Amino acid sequence: MDTRIEIKDLSKNFGRKQALSHVNLEIGQGMFGLLGPNGAGKTTLMKIITTLTKKSSGEVKLCGIPVEECGKIRKMIGYLPQDFSMYGNMGAYEALDYLAVLSGMNKKERAERVTEMLEKVNLGEQRKTKVKAMSGGMKRRLGIAQAMIHNPKIIVVDEPTAGLDPEERVRFRNLLCEIARERIVILSTHIVGDIEATCENIAVLDKGEILFQGTVAQLLEGVKGKVYTMEVSTMELPMIQEQFLVTGILTGGSTAHIKIISEEVPMEGALPAGGDVEDAYMYLMNHDSASRNRA
Amino acid sequence: MEKYLRAGSSFARRQYAPHLFITLLFCVMSVFFVSFRNLDDFQAAKVMEMYVSFAGILLMTPLFFPEQNPEIWLLKKSKATPLWHLYLIRLLMAVFFLAVIVTGFTQMMRQGDSQFDMRNLWIGSFCEMFFLGSIGFFVSGITNQAVLGYMVSVLYFVANIGAAKYLGKFALFQMAKGQYDFMVPMTAAALLLVTGGIVLRERISA
Amino acid sequence: MFGTLFLKECKQVLRSMVYYIYVVAFVMFLSSQLGGELTDKMEKPVPGQGSYGTIVSHEESVVMGNIMANLVGETENNSYATYPLGFYKRVTLNEEELSQVKEIIENCTGKKWEEIIGEMEEHFSGYDQGTVEGAIQAQMEYRADVKDTLKYEDFCSSMEKVCQLIGAGSSYSSKKLEAGVGAPMSYEQALEEYEVFCREDKVTGATARLFCDYAGIVLSVLPIFLGVTRCLRDRRAQAEQVIFAREASVFQIVGSRYLANVCMAFLPVVFTAFVMQLPYQFHAETLGVAADALAFLKYSFVWLLPEIMAVLAVSFFITELTGGVISIFVQVFWAFASLFSAVGLQGDFALKLIARWNALGNTREFLRQRQELFLNRGFYFGLSVLLLILTFAIYEKKRREGGSIYGKIFKGRK
Repeated sequence: MDTRIEIKDLSKNFGRKQALSHVNLEIGQGMFGLLGPNGAGKTTLMKIITTLTKKSSGEVKLCGIPVEECGKIRKMIGYLPQDFSMYGNMGAYEALDYLAVLSGMNKKERAERVTEMLEKVNLGEQRKTKVKAMSGGMKRRLGIAQAMIHNPKIIVVDEPTAGLDPEERVRFRNLLCEIARERIVILSTHIVGDIEATCENIAVLDKGEILFQGTVAQLLEGVKGKVYTMEVSTMELPMIQEQFLVTGILTGGSTAHIKIISEEVPMEGALPAGGDVEDAYMYLMNHDSASRNRA
Repeated sequence: MEKYLRAGSSFARRQYAPHLFITLLFCVMSVFFVSFRNLDDFQAAKVMEMYVSFAGILLMTPLFFPEQNPEIWLLKKSKATPLWHLYLIRLLMAVFFLAVIVTGFTQMMRQGDSQFDMRNLWIGSFCEMFFLGSIGFFVSGITNQAVLGYMVSVLYFVANIGAAKYLGKFALFQMAKGQYDFMVPMTAAALLLVTGGIVLRERISA
Repeated sequence: MFGTLFLKECKQVLRSMVYYIYVVAFVMFLSSQLGGELTDKMEKPVPGQGSYGTIVSHEESVVMGNIMANLVGETENNSYATYPLGFYKRVTLNEEELSQVKEIIENCTGKKWEEIIGEMEEHFSGYDQGTVEGAIQAQMEYRADVKDTLKYEDFCSSMEKVCQLIGAGSSYSSKKLEAGVGAPMSYEQALEEYEVFCREDKVTGATARLFCDYAGIVLSVLPIFLGVTRCLRDRRAQAEQVIFAREASVFQIVGSRYLANVCMAFLPVVFTAFVMQLPYQFHAETLGVAADALAFLKYSFVWLLPEIMAVLAVSFFITELTGGVISIFVQVFWAFASLFSAVGLQGDFALKLIARWNALGNTREFLRQRQELFLNRGFYFGLSVLLLILTFAIYEKKRREGGSIYGKIFKGRK
């Protein structure tokens, strides 16, 4: 059985605005991270995959089935949108049960799965809590439960950790990793930390174009030997920021400990350092927009 | 002051415009449905009460629209300007448009050689419209559902067609019967509803 | 899946505040209009009664006398009721127009205006105007007879001239003349009516019709709010995307919602109809008639269900299309137009949303117009189905393309 998402030469226009431009992607089993700034076209891509928006051109296949066949596609995807919520007057169990019906599950299946999923996302005790009384984290967990309720092959989650506190965020990431063992999970986010902690394969999207596709290690490869740390006076900071790509600043009194990405040794006293995903991402975004500006 | 003007105009442009448009349409359509010519006191009152008074519902019920989404409500609550200031600005705006409409219609009837007591009709019509609108305002305010506001105020209007006798001084269509003593109690009730709507809404958390 | 969804939707309706207001408003309206005892109007007529009620007459002399009486009355008050676009509109004429009408009246009756008014006042002084019954009877029995030599065709053309002066939709249009006029019944006619009432209506049929008359008025407005609430709910709860992305077809999603709302809206109607029928079912026994126990069900099914369906279908359609509350304004307007456009309160169904029969009995006239009622209700049933299919299409389009269609237009314009 083919468990891949293939996207070939996908474009999407909203009027004159091009939201996606000639996107090519191949996504296999496991966690896949889609990284990009706000407005990069992530949500549009997610919506095309989940049949909620029509593409303008190109080809999208999910497990061998073209995305135009909505009925079949909807059966095998679970979707957690950015601003997920449900009817406020429904309890957790009821809301999940309602959505399970819409996914075509029969009574017996639902009785088992709904309880099981609530336990899995740690809402077992709050099965009667009304949606309107839920915290952001609880809603998000309910959201992931509903995306998984019908045991889909592909789960698409859009900005799932936005607005969660650090503890909830970690718990949520772990939950996603657990789910991704036997299926494709596409995680779209602008928070680099989410990707770093969970994904093996990633793609970076900006202004509707794919800037990078590969593994986290490959992304890190891009900044290898280009990250430096140094101590500078806070007075110099603005000037340095203008000249170099600064990815981290830790100020202490009149001096600041900064992290710079540069093709060559930026200045005297700079020490080479190891880069993380955030550095690599920043480098990529900056490098690319610079080269685009040149062109 | 400037901040309030800006808040008011932003509301008018973003959320209120379609409602103002519908109200305008409603007023324009009156030429097909009601006559403005040669009316006496009773007939003029009938036009104002049976037709024009609906504008009260149209203008005053949607004033809580922008905060109907709980998240936006919470966000606006955290701002320096208290929400009730905003509500009051919108209310004043609606009252202004009501006054314009009442003036427009009474003038049109005047132009059509109608004979009626201008002062009584103006104040009376304004009272009824404001009262009917305040019902919609109150209900949509406390329930945070504009649909309920429309429903209750429309049903109140309907109730007056069949069961006005149970409503005492708060019954609509009094002027068409030649009675004008409803104005004080009705205005009091409307003010109570409007204040109650704002106060209660402020107490409910989003 | 459809059945489960349907039940879940019903449960959702049961939990909404709008529904409780719907039920309370419906029951209150009906009991305020139908609460009184009607049984005294169901007695068998006996000779020598003061009055036997009215019947619709198409006889030319009766029509002319009656219409002319109405014209005299309205001209005397210079206040003419018209329904140009369905809504009630009062017309007042200026001096010149008024004298032209008076001239027409004088030509038709062959009498001077003062003479006619004198006769009218004399007629009305013979009744006790202090009581409602007296005033109604005085109005009903007043006739301004036209001169013997006047032909019906000439009368019609005179009325056409009157119509031109007053404007469209007056009581003197050819359509109005064709509909016939109310005339007092004789004992024989009353007895015949009574027999048809017992034989065809079996008492409960007539009460069910009166029930439908009143219920039809509120049901042109109440279901709007159920429909709008349901359609706006997904977006309000931010549940739209999640539901869009599910396997269920548009037929299952929107269809179950629509059906659940129709059923829940119809339920209190049938129940109220049943309760209100009970006393008359017993009363039929005292009249020695075997009552039609299922009349309430038959009538509300044919008369009210298509109306509920149509009102809900329109609100579903407009709300899915626009994503706003505009449906409320449009439909309330439509309901009032339909209500106030009723030229008479009995029959003349045409394609009006609210089918009226504000009379207890008048069975023969009803049977005569029954076919028209069936056509009217059939039309609304068909309209509902058509609009529902269109709603499916809109929903599917939104599901595939995102956003409301109105919203897109609005956005595109800015």
